[in-house]
Amino acid sequence: MELLTLNHGSYPRIGSTPDQHLLRRTLAQRDRGEKTDADVRAAEDHMVLLALEEQQEAGIDIVTDGLIRWDDPISHLVGKLEGVRIDGLLRFFDTNFYFRQPIVDGMIKHSQPLIVDEFHWAAQKSRQPVKPVLTGPYTLTRLSLLNGEARSMHSVMMSFAEALGREVAELAAAGASLIQIDEPAVVKYPDGLRLASEALSQIAAHKGPAKVALALYFGDAAPFYATLQDLPFDILILDFTYSPTLPDVIEANGSVKPLGFGLLDGRNTRLEDQVTVKRQLERMLQHVKPECSYLTTSCGLEYLPRDRARLKLTHLTSIKRSFLGEAP
Amino acid sequence: MSRLKLHHLGIDLPLLPTTSVGSFPKPDYLVKARADFTQAKTGAEDLKEAEKRATEFWLRKQEELGVDVLVDGEMYRGDMVAYFADRLSGFEQGGLVRSYGNRYYRKPVIVDQVKWKGPITVEWWRYAQGLTSKPVKGIVTGAYTLMDWSFNEFYPTRRDACMALAGEVRKEVETLVQAGCKIIQIDEPAISVRPEELPLAIEAMRVTTQNLEAYFVTHVCYGDFESIYPAMLDLAVDNFDLEMSNSGLDMLQLFKKKPFTKDISYGVVDVHSHAPEDRRTVEERLNKGLGILPRESVWVDPDCGLKTRTVDEAIAKLKTVVSVARTFRGA
Repeated sequence: MELLTLNHGSYPRIGSTPDQHLLRRTLAQRDRGEKTDADVRAAEDHMVLLALEEQQEAGIDIVTDGLIRWDDPISHLVGKLEGVRIDGLLRFFDTNFYFRQPIVDGMIKHSQPLIVDEFHWAAQKSRQPVKPVLTGPYTLTRLSLLNGEARSMHSVMMSFAEALGREVAELAAAGASLIQIDEPAVVKYPDGLRLASEALSQIAAHKGPAKVALALYFGDAAPFYATLQDLPFDILILDFTYSPTLPDVIEANGSVKPLGFGLLDGRNTRLEDQVTVKRQLERMLQHVKPECSYLTTSCGLEYLPRDRARLKLTHLTSIKRSFLGEAP
Repeated sequence: MSRLKLHHLGIDLPLLPTTSVGSFPKPDYLVKARADFTQAKTGAEDLKEAEKRATEFWLRKQEELGVDVLVDGEMYRGDMVAYFADRLSGFEQGGLVRSYGNRYYRKPVIVDQVKWKGPITVEWWRYAQGLTSKPVKGIVTGAYTLMDWSFNEFYPTRRDACMALAGEVRKEVETLVQAGCKIIQIDEPAISVRPEELPLAIEAMRVTTQNLEAYFVTHVCYGDFESIYPAMLDLAVDNFDLEMSNSGLDMLQLFKKKPFTKDISYGVVDVHSHAPEDRRTVEERLNKGLGILPRESVWVDPDCGLKTRTVDEAIAKLKTVVSVARTFRGA
């Protein structure tokens, strides 16, 4: 059996040392006219390298670029599409983190890469495989304001799906072997699961040789776990922190898909008890058919201070090694 | 209803009383004083003098503009959670986490049993109230928000942390009441984001305010009101301070379906826009509200704290609030 550790997605872009303040400082200086966009880009590069280094040092098998260049999970992607403009701040689900809300008032069109360049850069610098992350069409639609006549949620979502499908195809062509689609809205607003399924199918059709993982977080996936098994994805990544019954549901229903076990809380600094996590894993893995599974945090790590985010990653590796009976 | 309660407390307010949510921008000299203090260039006394000077400035400004229920402007506070966490035992200062874009804050960590060590806001409330004959609101951050916006490494569950905090926040509220504060606002911006935890927030608020002789306001903002309304009306307060304008008055549709049964501090200006709203826009917002809400129960104020605006922008927005409310009083 294979158990791989994943960095879920985002990683802190600040820390406690002056070096870790580089991006913050440079952005502030750029806003005052003292630095250029090129300086900001260089600071972002520096912070991506730090994030990659820390993930590798923690022993993570599949890393991300930390989403360091993103202002938020919505506007970073949607802001590059035609037919959408970016408006005021809204709270991102139940976090104390804010995103800029898109207003859809035109034909949505993918006319430039969204994250392919970022992926390419990080992949070149990383010793470990880099997993690009995209926010899914259902979440983008639910968090957007839809303007204009006869514009339905369905048509907007399918347009987002088309754009994201194109991006997935470009990521796969650029060498991404695993691409993650984040859909927190699915567990927050499960009434739209059927609609979401149609849009997600469209994206999956573009994946080519890459594997696509669907990541659900900030809500309880247990009530519709069986339906999720039917979605056209290769891997299902789940947040266990909202769901006391999810291990029971997995034990009862099993899984034909590889699962990503988000058993470590990405939003609280407390380190989980290793024995408890291993016991949960053991219990569920007996009912998972595929040979390869993934261990990760419940969500991206930028909700934690840097030192704690790093500890969570180290903890993932430590639990994995202990579980597999490997040397610590 | 609540107006009677205010009368019993010795406060008689005009129709459509005006107020503010709490924070105002810090004048440049205070920003500098805070930076100097952080860099150990000046001492605590110098900083306090600057904070008192800025507090007096805002008290005088509110009086000059004709605001009815004043606030101290929170010149001595940084983050609304960290300010209290730093002064309760059981918390540790956390590392930086991002709130948006290039903005970060230090998120506190609960590492031990939380405990109220002594008055936190009372001295500042007394100072502000001593500068005016108008009522000054006491303002504290509520237990649910303190819990939700902190990391928890001590209590087994969120509920345990929240209820422990409720008992300690109550001690601060009791002290404000004993000091003579008649209108107390419990800030709970986090309440609206986890509908499944509303019963916990209601229980915590009951512990915080129950059987205390004061008129209670709660400020709630930026969340999923559709899923907590009308159940949120069970929060043990007299007045809900709500950001109406930022959300395009969406909440009025909810109030149409199920009547709003408490007093409301109705936000008529958006605190995120730099430009002051034109008078007609603000009048339209208030007019729409008064078409649905009982006139006797409506207070008028900005959507949220004005601390992210410049001093001039904040004054301009407050001026419009007061001017429009006065026009409607006469209508």
